[in-house]
Amino acid sequence: MGWEEKQVHGYSEFVRTAQSYHGRPIFALFCGDKDAEGRSWCPDCVTAEPVVRKELHNMPDGSVFIYCLVGDRAYWKDPNNEFRKNLKLTGVPTLLKYGTPQKLVEEECFKAELVRMLFTED
Amino acid sequence: GKNEYDLLVIGGGSGGLACAKEAAQFGRKVAVLDYVEPSPQGTKWGLGGTCVNVGCIPKKLMHQAALLGSALKDAQHYGWNIAQPVHHTWSVMAQAVQNYVKSLNWGHRVQLQDKKVKYFNMKGSFSGLHTVRGLTKAGKETIVTAENIVIATGGRPKYPTHIAGALEYGITSDDLFWLKESPGKTLTPFVFNVSLECAGFLTGIGLDTTVMMRSIPLRGFDQVSVDYQQMASLVTEHMESYGTKFLKGCSPTKVEKLESNRLQVTWKNTDLGTEETDSFDTVMWAVGRTPDSKTLNLDAVGVKTNSETGKIIVDASEATSVPHIYAIGDITEGRPELTPTAIAAGKLLAQRLFGKSSELMDYDNVPTTVFTPLEYGCVGLSEEAAAQLYGSDNIEVYHAYYKPLEFTVAERDATQCYMKMVCLREREQRILGLHFIGPNAGEVIQGFALGIKCGATYPQLMKTVGIHPTCAEEITKLHITKRSGLDATVTGC
Repeated sequence: MGWEEKQVHGYSEFVRTAQSYHGRPIFALFCGDKDAEGRSWCPDCVTAEPVVRKELHNMPDGSVFIYCLVGDRAYWKDPNNEFRKNLKLTGVPTLLKYGTPQKLVEEECFKAELVRMLFTED
Repeated sequence: GKNEYDLLVIGGGSGGLACAKEAAQFGRKVAVLDYVEPSPQGTKWGLGGTCVNVGCIPKKLMHQAALLGSALKDAQHYGWNIAQPVHHTWSVMAQAVQNYVKSLNWGHRVQLQDKKVKYFNMKGSFSGLHTVRGLTKAGKETIVTAENIVIATGGRPKYPTHIAGALEYGITSDDLFWLKESPGKTLTPFVFNVSLECAGFLTGIGLDTTVMMRSIPLRGFDQVSVDYQQMASLVTEHMESYGTKFLKGCSPTKVEKLESNRLQVTWKNTDLGTEETDSFDTVMWAVGRTPDSKTLNLDAVGVKTNSETGKIIVDASEATSVPHIYAIGDITEGRPELTPTAIAAGKLLAQRLFGKSSELMDYDNVPTTVFTPLEYGCVGLSEEAAAQLYGSDNIEVYHAYYKPLEFTVAERDATQCYMKMVCLREREQRILGLHFIGPNAGEVIQGFALGIKCGATYPQLMKTVGIHPTCAEEITKLHITKRSGLDATVTGC
């Protein structure tokens, strides 16, 4: 069955998408928005994305990988944005296993072994 | 051939993880084996050991849940409009606590990976002096060899297997913290600090809770520091006045399951010589802990254990009878069963093995706290231990009954809020032990532990100005001695 990827933008789309896949293992990577040239305002996200993508094949069968652009820098810096309030995100990039306390934040996402551990641990 | 690892730690709890992480800091090749044998009821958990999963952490959080319940009752007196009675939902608390514990499991996994410590989720046993056989849940085997091995497998709750039905129908603290549904009307037979703490918060969240005890409470927790005679009684008196039922002089004889799925417990009342019975939803055994040493195959390598307790015998450097094999934490004989001592011992051991240190762990004057509804914190010697060591004529015991300011407006009973300090009578009057019952006892005692470590004396304490208004300040004002026989109740400002 393998795995599939869904790209979403903003909190409501993220929640709708995650809910539609209820029952399957869901992994999500949250990054800052990208400009017209496809570059994110978040330099750490630029570093993390290829590391994470390289490990995606380690996700269990039937997994869903949600790639979520959170918004522009100003939105992200607002301490009351929905990602901070509801998902308790503290930084971007954040890679997490939805519905569990398992997550990697910022520089932790640069480490292939940690990303692999998140995808393969129980 | 050469051993694969510089250090292998068997057991990923407070001591084991601290030792492994410290050793990794020195650039050593370290591996950790951690495995949780499911409880008889099937409960299991992740990396982190007893403290994180079925001990200190969930206990303190549930204790806090109960304290908040009391605070809500007090709140009315302070002007808050809160509809009484207030109800508690177990599943909301349990899920929050369990989620937090799981985040700690994950945190430890990330830390180990980050510090390049190899982690095996396997049950270890010795198959050679430097060889450990690891077995996964599925039965897959891995052989690990190491220059140095540290055993830190801790302990598990005991079951009173001589009582019919005890194993099949009862649970222990291993299971209590992972229950998804409320334990309901609970009986906790025998008394150790664990059952008092658990009975305390169960009562606090509104459950019908009974503690059954044969002899004095809190026995076995800490023979030297904990004051079983006086302090323990005050703690249980307080619990009783707050609704925990105590069946004293009683001993359970059997547990049976009823059609309703409730449990029928029969016990002998040794005082009256009668047999009594009642039904409960849950029976939680807290009859002590047994070291997790039986499956390690210690005999094969000659690691000596205490024949009575099963605990591993170690010297001041945590070495076992085999030179390169060490042991730390709850598994070791004669050590306190506490997280901070295991962590400190683990770190110091790593520093002696791989750093240039020769510092040994100091097990004297370790402060500790029992998190019963009214907390009991202590450091140093109990009155009993001091009298035994120095003779009652050579010690002076100062004491006081006090009332926390917060209790006044809340119209709370402070009868058991009490403190006592044991000092040497001669010369500088060094402080030997300090005992405090009251709110936030752990926070109160922590600072005084430093004083005792520095050899603080009674005159020095009298020169220490108190912070007002607090409960802790009463310690700096202790002046009534037990010897004088005077009334020890503190009066107002």
